[in-house]
Amino acid sequence: MAYDLSFGWTGTIGEVTLGATKTDGGTRSISYRIGGGSTLPFLEESPVSPSPLIAYEICDKPVFWSPIVKDYCGDLVNNLSEWAKTATTTYKADLVRLHLTSTKTRDFSDIASVAKTVETVLSATPLPLIIEGSNEPKIDSEVFLKCGEAGQGERLCLGTAEAGRYRSVAAAALAYNHSIIAQSPIDINLAKQLNILLREIGVPRDQIIIDPYTGALGYGFEYSYSAMERIRFSALKGDSDLAMPMICSAADTLTIKEVREADPAIIDDVAVAWEFSTGVAAAVAGAEIICVRHPKTIGLLRDAFTNMKKRSSAKEVQ
Amino acid sequence: MALKALDIYKLLPKKNCKECGDPTCLTFAMKLAGGKADVDLCPYLDDAAKAMLGASTRPPIRLIRIGFGERFIKVGEENVLYRHEKTFYHPPGIVFKVDDTMPLEDIAAVTRRVRDETLTRVGSDLRFNGIAIENTSGSPERFGEAVAAVEKQEAHLPPILIANDPAALSAALVHCGTYRPLLHAATKENCKEMCALAKQHGAPLVIRSDTVDGLVQLVKDSAALGVQDLVLDPAPASLGDFLRRTTEIRQLAITRSVPELGFPVYFDTAKTGLQDAALALGITKYASVIITRPLMPGSAKAALTLRQNIYTDPQKPIQMTPGLYRVGNPDKNAPVLMTVNFSLTFFTLQGYLESSQVPCFMLIVDTEGLSVLTAVAAGKLSEMLVRDSIKKFALEDEVTHRKLIIPGYASPLSGRIEDATSWKVMVGPRDAAEIGDYLHNEWKKEQGATSPPE
Ligand code: B12
Ligand code: SF4
Repeated sequence: MAYDLSFGWTGTIGEVTLGATKTDGGTRSISYRIGGGSTLPFLEESPVSPSPLIAYEICDKPVFWSPIVKDYCGDLVNNLSEWAKTATTTYKADLVRLHLTSTKTRDFSDIASVAKTVETVLSATPLPLIIEGSNEPKIDSEVFLKCGEAGQGERLCLGTAEAGRYRSVAAAALAYNHSIIAQSPIDINLAKQLNILLREIGVPRDQIIIDPYTGALGYGFEYSYSAMERIRFSALKGDSDLAMPMICSAADTLTIKEVREADPAIIDDVAVAWEFSTGVAAAVAGAEIICVRHPKTIGLLRDAFTNMKKRSSAKEVQ
Repeated sequence: MALKALDIYKLLPKKNCKECGDPTCLTFAMKLAGGKADVDLCPYLDDAAKAMLGASTRPPIRLIRIGFGERFIKVGEENVLYRHEKTFYHPPGIVFKVDDTMPLEDIAAVTRRVRDETLTRVGSDLRFNGIAIENTSGSPERFGEAVAAVEKQEAHLPPILIANDPAALSAALVHCGTYRPLLHAATKENCKEMCALAKQHGAPLVIRSDTVDGLVQLVKDSAALGVQDLVLDPAPASLGDFLRRTTEIRQLAITRSVPELGFPVYFDTAKTGLQDAALALGITKYASVIITRPLMPGSAKAALTLRQNIYTDPQKPIQMTPGLYRVGNPDKNAPVLMTVNFSLTFFTLQGYLESSQVPCFMLIVDTEGLSVLTAVAAGKLSEMLVRDSIKKFALEDEVTHRKLIIPGYASPLSGRIEDATSWKVMVGPRDAAEIGDYLHNEWKKEQGATSPPE
């Protein structure tokens, strides 16, 4: 007997392309199209619907990075090029997300170094890149333009646009045809508002990825989980201002008390368990890019997602 | 069709005898209308009224009680597909599984772990909920011994007995038949015998089938045999199977499209080979009884925390009552630390204050459960609130000094708080982990500077 699940969806998540291969004028070995879903995550009938992508986060100035990752990766974190290579070949990430933490140093002004850093990573890894530029309105414009320019033709994803500061990122993305991450603090209405602002200045829908902001497990994750579910739900109900793929970065996880103060003998396992649980739950709620910092989380998430897409039984529900 | 409270009220006996647990028939009617109570709770309803009310007022997912005594669990009685639509009510029981082929001493050790292990977070004690014993040996005697080994620990944990062979279950039920163990599982093949056992012992029963039709049929068969306390095992062969079937079951149950599916769901994560993933999936996606191998410490805490998060009411953050709290035995010179009434903030700060060994006061102001940064951003933390709280909780009677330590993230308010209260404001660190150092250094210095020479 066939049962009618009747969710009554009418909308579809818009698609965003990450990375450009040679045929598209870039140098990446692969390019991803995310989005396109028309029902709840992992319930898609279409066999080609992709698994969530796993992005590995690296940075160009590790003083701002978690000691857990630094201890685990060792000297690697001081060699950006090697770190990006290892993320590709050994950790086997789908994407690399570079945080330009150097721009956080007080009175940062070495804008030229930004382009060099981006180029270094572009030549170290053939994977599509997400670049997190500065976090300081005074230098945003120059930093993002440099990132955009250095990655011209590569279809990067630039972050992060927020309600108070989105023009510089958007300008760089538009000028060099990259997509952008639009972040709002765990609120569906703010997410929508930001998307409308972006559209008003000319950013097309297929260049926006929503970041509803991920609170760490135990420190606000429940709000993020529901914000993601609501965004996905609204998109499927036809709200095109929210019909973009979502990204989740559980970056706060490594700094919470339970992880940071774990017994040193098991601290890696603890960090991985918390990043992993967050990643699985976020994917179920609708995130299509999951960013992690501990290398060991990557393989575990990949196995989980593969199995979550696996279906053994005959289709019996329409 | 859902009935209105008043229509339901007309059918009730109007004795107002309180036996249903409600103060009046009318309040009971209102609960029924909201799908929050079961008609069976009123002992005076005649059968006709019961039949009329039963189908439309019963919660779409039946409440099932497993176990006996202080650690019993209640699962089911959920109303929504998404927690933001209302909330999820009954957190899944997470149950550690042992095989009856394991040495009895190991079985006992796992039982003691579940009995004793507690993670205290945000003022709640988070625990695992029970022991599942699987009859992998194939021998009823061995199964009985294993269950006896669990019961000998006097842990009073809800037992789950897993066996295909009704004879094995019989042997085990000798040791725990009165504790309302959950029996796993009735299938097409053994439904009759399993139902007989469940009935005899008043135990809830898991039914197992890998199709919705199969489950529906088994629900009907069990009901015909007089067993109503059921749990559904959709027998997933992959995480994808689980996600799809559990979503179907929940959706078809809460919309009452297939009322037979209105029972909690069982998920054996140990069978998936991807236990941590399965746990996260079960917690977020509608599992009510989750079986797992004993977890490593990292996974254990992550799972308990995820469950706590997902089952928190989205409408109200876990809050503290605003007021003046003491850490240790503070005297009139002790420091006063101001913070918000979001429980997570309170307990985080309190933990660090306790380990600093400096007796002090915590002034908890009412930010409606928002954290420091969130309250500042939302304008819920203001100088007037701080001023009024100092008055209301009579802080000026408790300490002789007039110095208030505020959270680092509230520093934009420091000037205004000083003006409004005439207290000297000291901006503390942003991260509560640094509060010990701060009290030992900055606060001591400040005291030395102002206290009169002895
Ligand atoms: C979960 C969350 C929410 C939840 C609310 C949770 C809650 N009950 O407060 C929701 C989704 C409702 C929410 C809403 C908003 N949020 Co919010 N939210 C968060 C998030 C992810 C976590 C907050 C949290 O729980 N922290 C944990 C607690 C324990 O932290 P805490 O209270 O600050 O306590 C720490 C310290 O302050 C210190 N401390 C505490 N007390 C004291 C006392 C003393 C004396 C000392 C020394 C130290 C100390 O110790 C603690 C541990 O270190 C943060 C991001 C983040 N990573 O912080 C954003 C964040 C706080 N939110 C933000 C914003 C802007 C908002 C909104 C205004 C936006 C909106 N969505 O409309 C609303 C406002 C609320 C409203 N109008 O109702 C911004 C704030 C920006 C800023 N810098 O001002 C943040 C930082 C996100 C961001 N990056 O943009 N939010
Ligand atoms: S038990 Fe029945 S008669 Fe008594 S108060 Fe409740 S509804 Fe009324």
